[in-house]
Amino acid sequence: MRERDLMLLHYITGIGILVFGSIHVATIFFTYPFQDTIWETTLRFDSIPYAVLPVYRNALLAASLFGLLLCTTVHAMNGLRSIITELVGARKRWVEALLFAVGVFLLVYGTRTILIAHSLV
Amino acid sequence: MVEKVKFKVFRYRPEDGGKGFYKEYEVPVKKGMTILDGLIYIKENIDPTLSVRYSCRMAICGSCGVRVNSLETLACHTQVLELKRRVIRVEPMRNYPLVKDLVTDMTPLFRKQKALMTWLIRQDNVEQENPTKQYLQSEEELERYLQFTYCIQCGLCYSACPVVSTFPDFYGPQPLMKAYRYYADSRDEGGEERVRLVDRFEGVWRCHFAGSCSAVCPKGVDPALAIQLLRRSALKG
Repeated sequence: MRERDLMLLHYITGIGILVFGSIHVATIFFTYPFQDTIWETTLRFDSIPYAVLPVYRNALLAASLFGLLLCTTVHAMNGLRSIITELVGARKRWVEALLFAVGVFLLVYGTRTILIAHSLV
Repeated sequence: MVEKVKFKVFRYRPEDGGKGFYKEYEVPVKKGMTILDGLIYIKENIDPTLSVRYSCRMAICGSCGVRVNSLETLACHTQVLELKRRVIRVEPMRNYPLVKDLVTDMTPLFRKQKALMTWLIRQDNVEQENPTKQYLQSEEELERYLQFTYCIQCGLCYSACPVVSTFPDFYGPQPLMKAYRYYADSRDEGGEERVRLVDRFEGVWRCHFAGSCSAVCPKGVDPALAIQLLRRSALKG
C-alpha cells in the first residue's frame, strides 16, 4: 500500500471517528430511557445492570459501533506506526507487522463483543 | 558607544571525542555589529582556535547559519544589540554532524536534495543542451514557485525541524520545498516521478506542520506551505 493511500485512510478514519463517535455518544445519552440521571443509568451502569445492552441490540447502532471500532483501530495503529518510528528514529518492519497483528486482534475481538451483545452469537 | 556583551560559544573539538563545552568571551559591541562580527572579533583578538564558517557577510550565501539563544539564524543577519541581552549563547545548527565548534557538515541536506531530484527534469535533453527557442512563462506560472526560489540553502529550516531531530530519515523542509519548487515549474516534466519520490514514508507525510522551518527562514520562504502543497499533489496523484 502506498504511503499516500495509508494517509488518505488515516484522514478518512479520523473523520469517521468524529462521525461514529458522535453517534455513539448521542446514542448513550438519548436512546436509553433515563431512570435516575444520565450519569447513573448510562455511564456508571450501577442503577441498572447491563443498561447498555438495548443499545447494542439496535442493528443500526451496532453497525455504527462497528464503524467506530474499525475507524479507531485503523487510525490508532497507523498513528502509532508514525509515533513509534519517529520515537525510535528508524523504520522497523517488525513494529509495523506487530501493529498490524494488534489491529487485526482488536478488530476481531471488538466485532465478537458487538455480535455477542447484539445476540447474534 | 561601546557595550560589553558576553558571548557564550559552543566549542567542540573532534580530536577530544567529547560532547563539547561552552566557553565565554567578553566582546566590545557597538551599534550595527552582528553576531558574525562578534565571532570574528573573538577569533582575531581572543581565541584564534574558534572555528566559524562564513563568506558573504550579507545574508546571501547562507554559510554562517548558527543558533543564537536557541533560535536558528544567520550570524551575519543578527545584530547583537537588537537581541537586548548581556549574555548571548551561540551554538552550531542541530540535525547535522558537527565538524568543529560552530561548523556543521551539510552533507545530509545536499544528499536529500539529490535524492529528490531537485533540478529541472526534461525529456528533450538534446534540445536543452543546445536550445533553439526561448521557454517563456506567464506571470501566474512564475508566481506558483517564485517565493521558493529565494531559498539560499543555509539549512536553518532543517536545523529547526523537530521531526528531523527525532527521525533523521525524514527528508526535511528544505529538500521537500526544493522539490516543490521544481514540481510547480511549468517547464518541468518530472512531476510524476517527483511525487513518487516524496510519497514515501520519509516524505511529505511525516511533517507535523510545526512551522518552525518557516519561522526561522531568513529569506521569508515558507517550506511548511510547500510541504502541504506537495501533500495535495501526492493525494491527487
